[in-house]
Amino acid sequence: MSLADMDIRDAFFQEIYNIAMKDKDVIFITADADSFVLRDYKKDFPDQFINASVAEQNMIAVAAGLALSGKKVFILALIPFVTLRCLEHIKVNICSMNLPVTIIGLGAGFGSGIDGPTHHAVDDIAIMRILPEITILNPSDSTLSASCAQIAYQSNSPVYVRLDKGKFPNLYEKDYDYSTGFKIIKPLKEVNIISTGFITKEAVKLAETLEKNNLSVGLIDLYKLKPLNREALLKCFEGAKYLITIEENSIVGGIGTIISELISDNRKAITLKRIALEDKQCFDYGTREWLDQLYGLDQETVSKIVLKELRKCQK
Amino acid sequence: MQNKINFLKMKANWVRKQVLESIMLAGKGHLGGTFSCIDILVGLYYAGILRVDPQHPRWEDRDRFVVGKGHACLAFYHIWIDLGFLDASELENFAKNKSKLGGQLNISTPGVEYNSGSLGHAVGIAAGMALAAKMNAKKYKTIFLIGDGESAEGSIWESAMFASKHKLNNLIGIIDRNRLSVTDVIEEDDGSGRLDCKFEACGWKAINIDGHCFPQILSAFDHLEQLQQPLIIIADTVKGKGVSFMENGIKWHHSIPSREEFELAKRELEREI
Repeated sequence: MSLADMDIRDAFFQEIYNIAMKDKDVIFITADADSFVLRDYKKDFPDQFINASVAEQNMIAVAAGLALSGKKVFILALIPFVTLRCLEHIKVNICSMNLPVTIIGLGAGFGSGIDGPTHHAVDDIAIMRILPEITILNPSDSTLSASCAQIAYQSNSPVYVRLDKGKFPNLYEKDYDYSTGFKIIKPLKEVNIISTGFITKEAVKLAETLEKNNLSVGLIDLYKLKPLNREALLKCFEGAKYLITIEENSIVGGIGTIISELISDNRKAITLKRIALEDKQCFDYGTREWLDQLYGLDQETVSKIVLKELRKCQK
Repeated sequence: MQNKINFLKMKANWVRKQVLESIMLAGKGHLGGTFSCIDILVGLYYAGILRVDPQHPRWEDRDRFVVGKGHACLAFYHIWIDLGFLDASELENFAKNKSKLGGQLNISTPGVEYNSGSLGHAVGIAAGMALAAKMNAKKYKTIFLIGDGESAEGSIWESAMFASKHKLNNLIGIIDRNRLSVTDVIEEDDGSGRLDCKFEACGWKAINIDGHCFPQILSAFDHLEQLQQPLIIIADTVKGKGVSFMENGIKWHHSIPSREEFELAKRELEREI
């Protein structure tokens, strides 16, 4: 199976499998979370695999103890439980000692829509980016996901990777320069969309819808949310008048916030519209598509918002 | 043997006196919970239980010592200066601006294995180190020290179950059971007590010792090679041990003595030395 045809999770885990085959100091710990390729890993490298059971906080401490003893550790659990539940454990045990531990969170955004707010991962970016010097990666296709595994392995400090599930349209090539932290998917114009992860494939369709409405827009996929490649992004923004961020995250602290900080810190006269989830509790159960529609992240709603905003700006 | 015990007793009182003076000078520190664990620390560092090399603090075969109750840091600083891990001048500035040594342990200090300050993490960190030793076929042992107040942290019990599941018989824990937390008494027969039963239920071997009796401290580490599971040593101690009016006094968790109390305490400790 080619990389582009793989589930975004399996692409990541396949790369870790390949890495662990060559580097016996690579240890994978799961808090009882699973994935198809991980079963091969467990079978082929039993000495480099641990199931820490449903005890995420201990998993963080054990990972730190292993890393303090020279191991490169990857840990896995569902996003809400490995981030918010363990925040202080990550801060003290991994980040404060700058250890080479990669935290892999499963189920970005509304990926687990039916399970409700305990399983929704729409606030983890805001929470994790407060940790000093951590790297945050949010891949939007399988080729990028595999590259994120390499980036994490090459890093000597803490990395957080949020993984979605399923197959995604291919946006990246294997030989892309992954040090960039983002990719220009559609050439930049006066109006540009910035999106991340799952929602980028929707943003591609959105750009097409807007084009049908005689509005030509650029599109950037931002996958390295921290540290931000500020210089390169600012260069992209030269000539831009309007930026629109779209994300399946809370309006508080996601890429909308990240881009607004970049613009204001650099005194850029660019109008920014942040499209994200409202700051309110969600107890609506349904498919991801339905939830996105309910919360106004579907193409029809977003294209109306964008067109209305632009008309307002042009007055 | 008696000479050795006398030497350890003398050393422990010397460390207590040094800690008292540092706390007095800085106007900051935790006397009660430091004094309760000093005999244990002296036993570990001066009776050859901990295999460490002050000249090579990161020696890869060293025993690991993970400290949960890092607020006892001043005892460690004085022991490490005495053994040669640290230069005495490092402590002159303690608790002042630009001090390299803080009120908790930091891995930039030689001798420190883990950044302390937040309770409930040490058991899991130590379990990770013990597991790494097994993976790498290394003979070093990993020891951790936590308080009995700290044992209320839920993450400790996650780690206790993990260590037993992975048969970490190279992991030894010590609980400084001084029975006083910051604001309360820890009763043996209420939900927070019976730590031996709790660890045994998690699959550990548990032993109870008098944490101020050197023969008992030392013999707790006999026969480690026969262990089949992780070992927890529950050391009965007295908060503020060594100074009569501080012993078992809840106010001495982090109170600073008056000049008069300081002189009195110092005299008591000097009598012992």
